[in-house]
Amino acid sequence: MAEFDEVNRKITIKLVYYGPAQSGKTTNLMRLHDLLAPDLKGEIMTLETQNDRTLFFDLLPLGFRTPSGWLVKLKLFTVPGQVAHDATRKAVLSRADGVVFVADSQRSQSVNNAESFQNLEENVQRVGMDFSHMPLVVQFNKRDLPEAQIFSEDEIMQRWSQTPWPLVFSSALVGEGVRETLFKLLEQVYPALDRLFGLQQKHGVGQQAFISAVLGD
Amino acid sequence: MEITPLPFDRELNLQELLTGVSLERLGGILKALLGGDFRLVGADGRCLLGSEEPYAQPRRAEIHHDLDLLGQLESASADETRLSATAAMIELMLRLSARYHMAAELHIETVHEDFAALQQKHAALTESEARYKALSGELEARVREQIKIIESAQRQLYQAEKLASIGQLAAGVAHEINNPIGFIRSNLSTAQQYVSKLGALESVMQTGNMSQFQSAWKEAGMAFLLEDFTALLGESVDGADRVTKIVSDLKGFSNVDQAEAEIVDLNDNLRFACNMLAGQTRDRVELVMELGILPKIMCLPGHLNQVFLNLLLNAAQAIADQGRIEVRSEVAGSEIHIRISDNGCGIPEKNLDRLFDPFFTTRQVGSGTGLGLTVCRDIVQAHGGRIEVKSKEGMGTTFTVILPAG
Repeated sequence: MAEFDEVNRKITIKLVYYGPAQSGKTTNLMRLHDLLAPDLKGEIMTLETQNDRTLFFDLLPLGFRTPSGWLVKLKLFTVPGQVAHDATRKAVLSRADGVVFVADSQRSQSVNNAESFQNLEENVQRVGMDFSHMPLVVQFNKRDLPEAQIFSEDEIMQRWSQTPWPLVFSSALVGEGVRETLFKLLEQVYPALDRLFGLQQKHGVGQQAFISAVLGD
Repeated sequence: MEITPLPFDRELNLQELLTGVSLERLGGILKALLGGDFRLVGADGRCLLGSEEPYAQPRRAEIHHDLDLLGQLESASADETRLSATAAMIELMLRLSARYHMAAELHIETVHEDFAALQQKHAALTESEARYKALSGELEARVREQIKIIESAQRQLYQAEKLASIGQLAAGVAHEINNPIGFIRSNLSTAQQYVSKLGALESVMQTGNMSQFQSAWKEAGMAFLLEDFTALLGESVDGADRVTKIVSDLKGFSNVDQAEAEIVDLNDNLRFACNMLAGQTRDRVELVMELGILPKIMCLPGHLNQVFLNLLLNAAQAIADQGRIEVRSEVAGSEIHIRISDNGCGIPEKNLDRLFDPFFTTRQVGSGTGLGLTVCRDIVQAHGGRIEVKSKEGMGTTFTVILPAG
């Protein structure tokens, strides 16, 4: 749930990268940090264990100033993917305005993807959000792996074509598709924010401008 | 749980980020770095550290954290480079502090969540435990209720069993009494005729004519009459004695419920029980008694009578048409052994273990309660004894009642 801070003239938006362990959520954030050039870009805060696994979350703050002089701040979080950290995952997910589900394209990971997606659906409901109306983008990551190891795009499209969510193929390691993923999510998040805070009316920020400001185009 | 968790991802201000840092030490360090007085001011303009008084023309460096302007570092003496480097160092410190804050609060949030889940689980468990407790209490009450019902049913059945055996007994007794009463009655009516004959002779005697009296005496067959009169009176006395004995035997039974302990010779009880049985089965069962000399013992004779009679009735029932029942008593060491054997149908092996179970019966529905032997065993055990059984199907059965002799 985005925060509206009248005193400090600030709107804070929370986006969460969700998915099974080692599907590339942290890598997505790292790449975004390198690729994006918004007005304001914070440093990545990572809270990881020694073997490079996310323990609590990663956080990348991005932001821009509106013509009305307000600060719009986007906080991009990742959740820990490992099954055991469900309570942490749930806490990080709570109050989210949009979610990117980072799936692992490897054939060997299809069960983990499915379980993690089901876990997302359950946790969204547990933290009191409506799964059917929540902005969500499904990203199939690791397209850079050998073809034999991964599901083909056709196979994935076939499986996901009936779902209402945008599908993006990416290779976070190489930097492909991560920007597009965020773009697709912002496309869904903007209308809800506009309804809540009158971004267009009060702050003079239309959808194009909003997305451009975040991505730094 | 004392701690109410705050959202771990909330926006933190300068003051919150400085908690956990010793402001005194930080003040000393900043003073040394900046070469004199300084002011650390929050976004709302409040001074958090350093001189309260605003400077006339201070140098300022902004303190940012995660895109937000959290405050200013002001100094009257430090140069630009030193001031911005110090501000950068404060930012670095704030990042570390934020990292710790967020991790700690996320931890609290998850712990709180886990704890809430545990509490829910606990509440659910407590509730179900209470339900089970109530249920088990109810069950116990119901079991107690059922036991009461069963016990009262058992008592009723026991009474019924007793009544049934007493009914059988009464039928036998009626038959036994009927016979002597019958011939006493006919003897008495014969006696009445004899007395009227005697009355007729009296008028002849009044005349004083001896020869007339003698001829009338002869005519009336008085010699036979006197002989017969004596005999029938003797017979009647015997009959009356027999009735008296039967009645006294009956008394032995009728005081079953008067649980008075007496010192008795068990052979008397055996004889009496056999007499009871003989009345009913004389024509088909040969009853053989071999009673040894027994020491008198203190017991409830009415109850033991019930035991012997039950065993004898069972033995008689095991005999289809013709058979033999043997009753033996003897002393064996410190025990009295009473054996009641029949050559009847015997008991199947599979039933031997269940023989004494309440309500176990092989009889037709309605003709046996399955309590006879249960009652026997209970009575014998109450006397400190035991019952043993040996049986072979088709050959017969022997029950042995063993009682302490002393």
